[in-house]
Formats: sequence, C-alpha cells, structure tokens
Amino acid sequence: MASLRKDDVAGRGQERLPFRRVLVANRGEIAVRIIRACHELGIEAIGIYSDADADALHTRLADVAVRIGPAAPTESYLRIDAVVEAARSAGADAIHPGYGFLAERASFARSVEEAGIVFVGPPADAIQALGDKLHARRLAQTVDVPVVPGTLEPVAIDRPDRLAVVMEEAERVGFPLLVKAAAGGGGRGMRRVTDLAGLPAALEAGFAEALSAFGDGAVYLEREILPARHIEVQLLGDGTGRVAALGERDCSLQRRHQKLVEEAPAPGISPAERRALHAMAVRLGKAAGLRNAATAEFLRAPDGTFAFLEVNTRLQVEHGVTELVMGVDLVREQLRIAAGLPLSEAALAAAERAADPGSHAIEVRIAAENPALDFTPAPGRISSWTMPGGPGVRIDSGVGQGDRVAPEYDNLVAKLMVHAGDRDAAIDRLRRALDETEIGGIQTTVPFHRFVARDASFRAGEVSTGWVAERYDGAADLRRALGIAKLATGLAAIEGRHPSRPAPPKPVDGRAESDGRWRAAGRADTMDRWPR
Amino acid sequence: MIIELGPPGVRLDWMGPDAAIVVEGATRTRVRFVTEADRSAVLVGGWHIEVVVESERLAALREKARRGADFAGHGGPTEVRAIIPGRVVAVSVAPGDEVVAGQQLLVVEAMKMQNELRAPRAGTVASLATGTGQTVEVGDLLVVLS
Repeated sequence: MASLRKDDVAGRGQERLPFRRVLVANRGEIAVRIIRACHELGIEAIGIYSDADADALHTRLADVAVRIGPAAPTESYLRIDAVVEAARSAGADAIHPGYGFLAERASFARSVEEAGIVFVGPPADAIQALGDKLHARRLAQTVDVPVVPGTLEPVAIDRPDRLAVVMEEAERVGFPLLVKAAAGGGGRGMRRVTDLAGLPAALEAGFAEALSAFGDGAVYLEREILPARHIEVQLLGDGTGRVAALGERDCSLQRRHQKLVEEAPAPGISPAERRALHAMAVRLGKAAGLRNAATAEFLRAPDGTFAFLEVNTRLQVEHGVTELVMGVDLVREQLRIAAGLPLSEAALAAAERAADPGSHAIEVRIAAENPALDFTPAPGRISSWTMPGGPGVRIDSGVGQGDRVAPEYDNLVAKLMVHAGDRDAAIDRLRRALDETEIGGIQTTVPFHRFVARDASFRAGEVSTGWVAERYDGAADLRRALGIAKLATGLAAIEGRHPSRPAPPKPVDGRAESDGRWRAAGRADTMDRWPR
Repeated sequence: MIIELGPPGVRLDWMGPDAAIVVEGATRTRVRFVTEADRSAVLVGGWHIEVVVESERLAALREKARRGADFAGHGGPTEVRAIIPGRVVAVSVAPGDEVVAGQQLLVVEAMKMQNELRAPRAGTVASLATGTGQTVEVGDLLVVLS
C-alpha cells in the first residue's frame, strides 16, 4: 500500500457525506470516474490494482492504492476476500463496485455489508432477485409491465422425458427465439434458434456456457424481436420507497449484444410514450425494493410497444449521456443515497422533466477492436493518443499514451460523449470530435463511429439492434483507408521526407539504407489470413 | 515492391512534421504518420495501418516466399496461426479429422470475448500445436491442415 497524495479538504463545499474514504473496486475508466466523484465530494479514494495495472491511471489517481493480485481477474478484481480486506485495512467506510467484475454479485454486496462497510449499490437481496432474469420477468408481470414473450421458469434441460414439453413451449414462444441464461449478461450463454430441430443443441450449449460463466446453468426461452430498439430507463431509489426515472437511453447500435453507441433521449419517441415507459420502470423498481442506481432495459418492437428485458443493478457504462442531458451526477447521487440521504433536489427536478429533457447527448464506446474483422479484440500498446475537446465534449478514459491495453480485461479505452441542444447538433459535434481523435499503436472502433456520425439513416433515427450488421461494411472501409495509406507513405518516401518525429532508429539489418519504398502491411495481411 | 501512385495530381500537403493531407482531386484526407521503435503506421479515418520500410532485395525475397506459400497452399499443408493473443478455451478438432472450409477449429478467448478460428480451406487436420488452456501469441502455430 502506498499513500500517494494527501489533499486538504478545506476547500470542499457545503455537502459533507459521512464517508471519509471510499474504496473503488474496479479499474479503467469507471474507476477513474468514481475516484473523481469522490474527490469532488472531499472523500479520499482508495484504489485497487492488479500487477497489470500498477502504473494505470486509476492507480495513480487514487489517494491510496492497494495491490490485490496478479493480472488475471479471477486472482485480483474478482476476489471478494481480497477486495473486502483491502477496504478494511485501508479504513474505507464504503465500497463502490463500478460496473462489471463484482458489481452485480449479491455475495459481494453481502460480504461488504457483513464487514460493516457500506455497499454503494442496491441491497444484496435486490441484486439477487433482479439478477435472476426469470425472477425479474415474473416480478414485471405482477406490476403489469409486459415482458418479451417467452418462458417464466427454467427449461428442464436435465429431464430428457420433458423434452416434448420444452418443444411445445418453444413453439408457443415462436421462432426465431433465443436461449438465454437466467444468471446471464453480455450475451454469455445465449443461443439463437431458428427452428425446432436446432433447439436441443442450443439448449445444451447455452446450459454449458452459462454453467461455466456464472456457475448456474439455468436457461429460458425468449422470442427474438427483430428489428427491435434497445431502450433503457435510468432509475434511482433512495430507500424511503421513492424511485425516480431519470429518462431513457437508446442503445440499439450493438454487435454481438455489446453496445457501441448510446444516446439520450431515445430519438423519435413522444414525451407521452416516454412518460409511460418511465412509469413502467418505476413500478418495477418499487416492486423490487430498489435502492441506489439501476437500469431497466426494454425492447421496443416496430409497432411501438415496449417489452421488459432485464434490470441491471449497477451504474451502467453509458450513464454519462443521462448525466449530460439531466444535469445530474449519478455517481454523486449513488454516494449520497449510500450515505442514507434522500434523492437530491437536482435529481427530483430532473425526473420531473425527464420526458422532455430539452437537449441531446450521444456516447460512442472507443474499444480496442478491429471493425474490419467483425470487431475482434485488438489489444496492444497505445503509441499516440489525441482526444478531442471543445464545447460539449466529454471524455471518460482510463488510459493514455504509452499504456498497454491488456488482453485480460475489457477492451474499452475511452467513452467519447457529446452534448448539444438537439440531436442534429449533437451528431455534428460527434463528427467533429471524432475527426480530432487520433489513436496510434492499436486499432480501435473509431472508423465505425466515424461512419455512424456521417450516416443518413442514423441521423434519421432509424436505429435497431440489427443496424450494425446491415449497414456497416468494415472491410470495405478498411480497403479505402489502405489505398490512402499507401498513397501517403509512397508520396512521403518520394519526397524523401521521413514522416516521423524523431527520426527512427536505424534497423541493424540496414533496412533504412533502402531506396525508401514503403509497403503497407500488417493489418491487410492479417485480413487475408483470417478466414471471414 | 512498386507503389501505385494513382492518377496524376495526387499530392501531400504537410500540416506539420508528422501530419499531412492527401489531396486527390477534390478529396482531401487527413493522415498522420506515427513511429514507435521499429514500427511505423499511418492513421487514416480512424484506421491504424502498419507500414514497413524495406529494401528492394528484401521485398523481392518476401515476394518469392509469399509465392512459394501460395503454391504450397494449393496442395501442401496449410499452417493456421493465431492472429490475436489470448487463451485457447476450446479445441473442436483432433488430428486426422476431415474438415470443410469455414468449419470451427478452435476458440480463442481474448478480452472476455470468444473468437472462433475457422478452417481457411477443406482438408485433414495433420497436427494440433496447441491445446485447451494454452496461451497463444500472435503468429503462434495452432493447426496444420493437409
């Protein structure tokens, strides 16, 4: 443990929470985001880090940083005992889990509470109840919230004699359908089934994947709604029974059930529809005894009807777009609620105007992935890093120049958010901000986002969960870029101008003695070798 | 290797020591050259495109090697190598198995995502150079198809 900084707290504002120290049980951009909120409240932030993150931004930004193990998440960020012990030894009053890792493990929330430390999130019971997607689906039905058609109990996969019943259920649900893990998330344990013949294999595969990923193999059936829009409602509950909806986010642009672009408010939806949607989410939150932050996810069918999907009992990756349009700091609200305070005036006022927020925000997730290879991970070291700035631009990131994007962890490197008076202006701003963005050393999703910012159908709000596959041809986009890269390198070589600063070291084999001809290589060759 | 320079009138407008605009008629595209250690790349449109400088002699050798590999590809063994670093979480074939083009050979997990590696052509699995649980680096030999 190393104490890195001692801030004086004399300059802090009126609001004083009963927390002196908060442990941030996460890494990367979300750990940085939470540490910043702590500092603004005059609270010391305790960071944790694995060996891979000894020099990471979140480790450096924390007031105290505690090493919790080797790089592998199972030996570090996922170790409940190590995280709780770090909090205890550092004298933390509360633990903020961020998202991912232990954020939605009821057993973690319970261990934290049992150690006499405040868990910044919903109570363990609520996490458990809502984390079971089947339980959440049944709960939704009790408060008149329509669910995506499907089963409400686990499929009896271990009972071959029940297969006929399962087949009947599947026919009733309708094809194509999805086999989903009750304990699932992030597409794990999910299988798409187009006909009855494919069902047994999908059930088996889904069960096995769910069992290995979550330790619980329970799966259920859900009809696939296509084209659908993914729209989710931000909820805050303060423990007095009050639950407020802070507007919705449209997260329809996804690949492999992972979000790429999110915006608030959802385009093309009337304030009346929004109010109805928010009311459904609030009913769910109240029925679940929600305290702190959570998000209720819905699918919107082409006929405009909403169907409940699941509740995430944590801060979402995309919480920033809600903060921008609502003018509310969600992490600050989380800390206030965890400290036993009621929802702030700002949050209540925001909930009042959530159906007609009066501005627009868009977030793009810049991840280390290759958009020409179906967004496969592309870890590596960042050699140059230029982020945009100016009016209405917010960057949440946990990395910078010289940092390694480790294959052990999530490959999100930055969230670029823009905020403007309306959606058109926000898209203009997004395009401008992306033009200023330059990341060297790794391939990122920026080419895809540049495409989105220029696409007419996106501007028209014609988004759906099938949009990325239908509209974006990453390989063609790369071919165009390759042509320009070849031209540029060739021209630079002919001009005898080595396009680098400082001059590169001379390779020992004397390649620098060459006639200066360049060859575009690397990713193009990679593409040819990788079967698509 | 000869660079095709496209139609006449294509030029570079330098915007600084490592940034330039490629001007092709009315189209202007911003590029940035980045160099780190012995690696060079061009950033264009969000793409990170690696480039290597090499002598005529080396280029000729490489070309020869590539043609040789192509030739071997028609009858001889095909080596399937890792293009992303990660951990092998599943091996779907065994030596001696007949595979068709596009069939899944193995699954490599990187950054919490499972990436299926598929057969580039039909053939027989001659040998497996890896196994479940093994960590692989870019370029590592995984499967040989004959």
